[in-house]
Amino acid sequence: MHSLDALAYTNPWRRRHPAEKAALALGLLSCAVVLPPWPGALLVGGVALVVLLGPVALRPAQVWRAVRAPLVFIAVGSVPLLVAVGGAVLVRFEPAGAGPALALAGRAFAALLGLVLFAATTPLADTLPRLERLGVPAAVTEIASLIYRLLFLLLDTIAGVREAQAGRLGFRTWRTTYRSVAGQSGAVFVGSFDRARRLEQGLALRGYTGSLRVQVEARPVSWRFLAVTAVVLAGVVTAAMVLG
Amino acid sequence: MHIAEGYLPPLHAVAWTVVAAPFVVHGARAVVRQVRDEPETKLLLGAAGAFSFVLSALKIPSVTGSSSHPTGTGLGAVLFRPPVMALLGTIVLMFQALLLAHGGITTLGANAFSMAIVGPWMAYGVYRLVKRLGGGLTPAVFLAASLADLATYCMTSVQLALAYPDPASGVLGSVVKFGSIFAITQIPLAVSEGLLTVLIVRLLVKVSPAELIRLGVLRRPVEA
Repeated sequence: MHSLDALAYTNPWRRRHPAEKAALALGLLSCAVVLPPWPGALLVGGVALVVLLGPVALRPAQVWRAVRAPLVFIAVGSVPLLVAVGGAVLVRFEPAGAGPALALAGRAFAALLGLVLFAATTPLADTLPRLERLGVPAAVTEIASLIYRLLFLLLDTIAGVREAQAGRLGFRTWRTTYRSVAGQSGAVFVGSFDRARRLEQGLALRGYTGSLRVQVEARPVSWRFLAVTAVVLAGVVTAAMVLG
Repeated sequence: MHIAEGYLPPLHAVAWTVVAAPFVVHGARAVVRQVRDEPETKLLLGAAGAFSFVLSALKIPSVTGSSSHPTGTGLGAVLFRPPVMALLGTIVLMFQALLLAHGGITTLGANAFSMAIVGPWMAYGVYRLVKRLGGGLTPAVFLAASLADLATYCMTSVQLALAYPDPASGVLGSVVKFGSIFAITQIPLAVSEGLLTVLIVRLLVKVSPAELIRLGVLRRPVEA
């Protein structure tokens, strides 16, 4: 569940400024979406994979775990392009759709690797407070930070409740399963609001005035990293144009 | 089902972001105003957002024998209202993209429109309509959750069809194609989510009536 978040805290790029990682990962992502899929997808996917397995030091199994669920959507979502509807035969195989389907799958996979590159290197706790500088209201970034901090506690609560229910044969039949899942949800609802209320009381005792601002560690932006990123992105764009 | 990263052409990704933006900005302004007037609600909204995220992590049984996840849009809209859900839902979708690689940054606008706007508004509209027609809490919640789930997936199918029209029958044929994969197969799951949401709300009426009154879902502590 939290594998990407765990990787974001333990990878060698953990201490890099989020803007550096955003420039590279989101730059690659943009290239994947904007450039022609062939050879754009191959180039972007290749660069993202090399960075993930090289400097970011992920194992292939970790990358696979991160991409396998979205890959199901990409695979299933490409199928309709292989089918044509209407005409003499209502539904038929459309051989001409193979090219667009492959191009779509390639582009989406390359973009997915760009997303994983950012997600696996940058903890949300580093990103959220900095969104304020991009014009997101403080109240919104603070609520997002609260959600981030609370959701792991709630997921742990659900896991604990689920384990206890399984121990009591709570998933034996469909009827008991529904009742158990509703119980998990009820426990989380009560737990989350109870925790929010206790946080509210604790903050009130400390003179809460409405601001939940946290200290953001100052990190210098590496201009060298950004320069290399610019060269890599320019190389990807040029190669895609020349080879395409 | 979230539209995966990079799945939509750039123009569509931008267009859906532009379409979703006013709803999300309206939700954000409502939340900022609420937080300015009552700073303590910030913590409750954080709890509501975390609850919405966790709802999508619940596993409900599906007819194929495997399991699926509820969208949670119906319950979220009934509990927290659609404008708040537009913002909380978008934050949750961003978290799902960055923590689970489900959905994406370029598809955030499209996913937000279907899951954080269309789903919750459908749920809230149905909920209010059934209540106004004299239906009780149970049918109102069941229909709200089921139809919100279905509306979300129908919207996703339309978004995909607009991006990839059928070469022979155009957008309409493509709606049929994507709908048969992403919406029709969703009908049993929509019913499943409706049933689950009824059980959840019944449980909450028993164990947490004070919160439901505070959220405006219940007027009297004994309503069931």
